[in-house]
Amino acid sequence: MSPGKTKGIGPYLLIAPAGLLLAVFLVLPYLNIGVMSFRVPGQGTPYGEGFTLVNYARFFADSFYIWQVVNTLWIGFLTTAICLVIGFPVAWQLTRPNMRFRGLAYGLVLSPLLVGIVIRSYGWTILLGNNGLINRTLTNMGLIDSPLPLMYNALGIIIALVHVFLPFMILPIMNGIQGIDPSLEAAARSLGASRTTAFRRIVLPLSMPGIQAGCILVFVLSLSAYVTPSLIGGLKVKTMAVTVVDALIDTFQWPFGSALALMLSVTGAVIVVIFGRMTRMKWKVA
Amino acid sequence: MTEVSIEKLTKSYGNARAVNAISMKIAEGEFISLLGPSGCGKTTTLKMIAGFEDVTEGAIRFDGQDVVNTPAEKRDIGMVFQNYALFPHMTVEQNLAFGLEMRKVPKPQMRERIAKVLDMVQLKGYEARYPRQLSGGQQQRVALGRALVIEPKILLLDEPLANLDAKLREEMRVFIRDLQRRVGITTVYVTHDQAEAMTMSDRVVVMFGGRIAQIGSPTDIYERPENHEVAEFVGQVNLVQAKVESVGEGTATVTSPLGDFTLPTKISVKPGNMVSLALRPEAIELSKATEGQPAATVLASYYSGALMDYRLKLDNGDELHAQTFPVNRFAEGDRVALHAPAERFWLVGVSK
Amino acid sequence: MSRPFLTGYCLLIYAFLLAPILVVVGASFNAGAFLTFPPQGLSFRWYITFFNNEVFMRAIRTSLWVAFVTMIISGVIGTMAALFHVLHARRSKDVVRIAMLAPLLLPEVLTAISLLFFVYAIGIGTQNMVGMIIGHVLITLPFVFINVSASLESFDPSWDMAARSLGAPKLVRFRRIMLPMIKSGVIGGCLFAFIISFDIFTISFMLKGVGTSTLPIQLFDYLRTNFTPEAAAVSTVSIVLTLTVVIISEKVLGLRIHRF
Ligand SMILES: Nc1ncnc2c1ncn2[C@@H]1O[C@H](COP(=O)(O)OP(=O)(O)OP(=O)(O)O)[C@@H](O)[C@H]1O
Ligand SMILES: [Mg+2]
Repeated sequence: MSPGKTKGIGPYLLIAPAGLLLAVFLVLPYLNIGVMSFRVPGQGTPYGEGFTLVNYARFFADSFYIWQVVNTLWIGFLTTAICLVIGFPVAWQLTRPNMRFRGLAYGLVLSPLLVGIVIRSYGWTILLGNNGLINRTLTNMGLIDSPLPLMYNALGIIIALVHVFLPFMILPIMNGIQGIDPSLEAAARSLGASRTTAFRRIVLPLSMPGIQAGCILVFVLSLSAYVTPSLIGGLKVKTMAVTVVDALIDTFQWPFGSALALMLSVTGAVIVVIFGRMTRMKWKVA
Repeated sequence: MTEVSIEKLTKSYGNARAVNAISMKIAEGEFISLLGPSGCGKTTTLKMIAGFEDVTEGAIRFDGQDVVNTPAEKRDIGMVFQNYALFPHMTVEQNLAFGLEMRKVPKPQMRERIAKVLDMVQLKGYEARYPRQLSGGQQQRVALGRALVIEPKILLLDEPLANLDAKLREEMRVFIRDLQRRVGITTVYVTHDQAEAMTMSDRVVVMFGGRIAQIGSPTDIYERPENHEVAEFVGQVNLVQAKVESVGEGTATVTSPLGDFTLPTKISVKPGNMVSLALRPEAIELSKATEGQPAATVLASYYSGALMDYRLKLDNGDELHAQTFPVNRFAEGDRVALHAPAERFWLVGVSK
Repeated sequence: MSRPFLTGYCLLIYAFLLAPILVVVGASFNAGAFLTFPPQGLSFRWYITFFNNEVFMRAIRTSLWVAFVTMIISGVIGTMAALFHVLHARRSKDVVRIAMLAPLLLPEVLTAISLLFFVYAIGIGTQNMVGMIIGHVLITLPFVFINVSASLESFDPSWDMAARSLGAPKLVRFRRIMLPMIKSGVIGGCLFAFIISFDIFTISFMLKGVGTSTLPIQLFDYLRTNFTPEAAAVSTVSIVLTLTVVIISEKVLGLRIHRF
């Protein structure tokens, strides 16, 4: 419905700046990085003359990189699964009509989003470090002799990632549940379904789009997370994103870095698509 | 005051014609209703008159001047929307002032005109309220006031009463009609409620599927509908099989279970044709069955306060619906005699 | 799950969500030279160190400046796009929506890397902040778009038609009817863009020029080698800045910001 229906190019002027910006500074760069991954590695320069498949060959030849991709995917998968398991009850509770302190609770869920990712990861280093709050407390209580290995490993990365991305799981699920007509649940109950059955047969299926959106969001975000793995994992455990960024920033291997980044992204995208198919829901963004 | 004439007005969406070559003339100060079922093109017609919808073909003239290419904001119309469309961030007074500001009416005059209109729509003292602080009926009157205060050439209303409850709806009908008479403004009123159209309008335009089925006074439409679709849309109707015996000059003589009649007819018939004899339920009077009168058996009766509804069965098996004042009541199974004045019958197309 | 059990469970999660933030704030008041527990007394010494640290202060100014410029550009472009999307797009509606949300759906690392190569390819380079700001605009655009679209969705087209029938030309209708109605969406979207931009890391990290560190980058660099509570003081100030913007928008302006 177009109020003040206008003919001609008028309306298109509204979308032109955004369209131009996205075309020039998103689409072109993405095409460019695709091209970059086929360039010849440079000697002293970021890249050399001509095109080659050598970057991809190097990736597939070295099980180190393949394992790193697998490892990164595994961390992403666990992060997503944990986020879902601990996020759903929170989202569910936040949508209960008679919940008290809803505003406060909602604020708490959102609070991590308002604090920069560096700060949040920093908070986790304070908590998880060998001299961190948790290990210190446990030692002081005499429960452990040597510090538990909470940081510089996949466990620490996953704990911090779950924290960082949990809101991205809770919010879409909340949106999903809120979109469900409450009378549907009541109708199911009136037809003789128990509270649990009504939840399982009505609420859960109907909140699938929200769950799906949340899972995809968290998975994609964890694959490409850089700050958290790099601060928590240190030099010991590296995810693919960290390796890629280091390859580009520290060693200026642009073509190879591009190939690595694309391999990770493509694998991630394939998994997302398969997941989408499996959960048989329409691709729906929040 | 403005006379509106519409010629072969058409609106197509792709291949579908929402409005199909309709023509009508609306006299100065006339109150005309567009009546028809949902989706028949009433709103589309109104929007084309207002200028919110492009015209695919045809002409719209205000006082002889074609306005098809005039943008809505220059057409000088007053429009009342179904949801009122009051500006939520403006008070009643600001809502009323908006159109006057657009016309650069000087402040003192503006205040005068707003006061006059507020008086007219009986909302004195509500100037500073916001729309959300008003009841549905009050919002309705603000919308009316806002459309009238600019003293437009024509007033257009699209189902303005649809969101009100039944009682308020009847009050507002009278209110709008009286106001329109007093102001004397040419008015086009869209509704799918036949009672509304009947009570308010000088003339009713009945539309089906983008076409005009009939234009006429409420009496014409109700008592002499040109086909059974119109007849059924504007009220309940009984259709009884009849056989044409002879044909005269614009008349036909028919025999039917309800008796023999010679009736004026607009449809062309030949002797021996089967036609339908139409009769409104409330045209039927019932009495105790006597010899020589067409009779029927009461199948069921329903009491609705002011009226009694009867479902009757003729001896040939046809069913009839009758509506009478509850003076003589009849029970299920009673035999009753049917009386109906010949002028309440009319003939419609060949029956199935 | 029974109600009390669910409540308890959720409280645990809330504690989990708050823990690292509280720890940072707590650590910033530590009087000792290192992050030790329990803290060796309370003091503001790390705040004083921070306020005297020109590197951090410059980073904060850069961050505020970048966030401000980003907010303005994103605000204007995003609002225009939302106007098109809700009011004019018909067949292109889904395409426009997906395109506008794309920066949110694409991995930020990949966007950052692509953009880095691209600014070099077209000669903008990273000598100035142009590339970085373009990146920030890309990332924040969806948030402005979502907020303005949401407020436009509740804009009733018949308001516009009513104003037209009363004789209001296009610009007057935009200024007097449309703008007041979507104001909260625009302001909310802009403030959110500001907050997001203030916290953006990866884009800034890849596209930062020489001597144009933003606060998150400076903090990150610092944390790779230092463990003093100064970082906690910096973080706390940053949290307070963000919180101020949120409180201004939600309490003073009475806005409800749409995050999704
Ligand atoms: N923008 C549009 N695009 C395509 N078809 C449309 C459009 N607007 C209306 N139509 C079609 O035109 C026809 C007439 O619509 P219109 O709104 O005029 O009906 P109406 O008589 O006002 O009905 P109602 O009583 O339900 O309001 C309908 O079949 C409708 O589906
Ligand atoms: Mg309509």
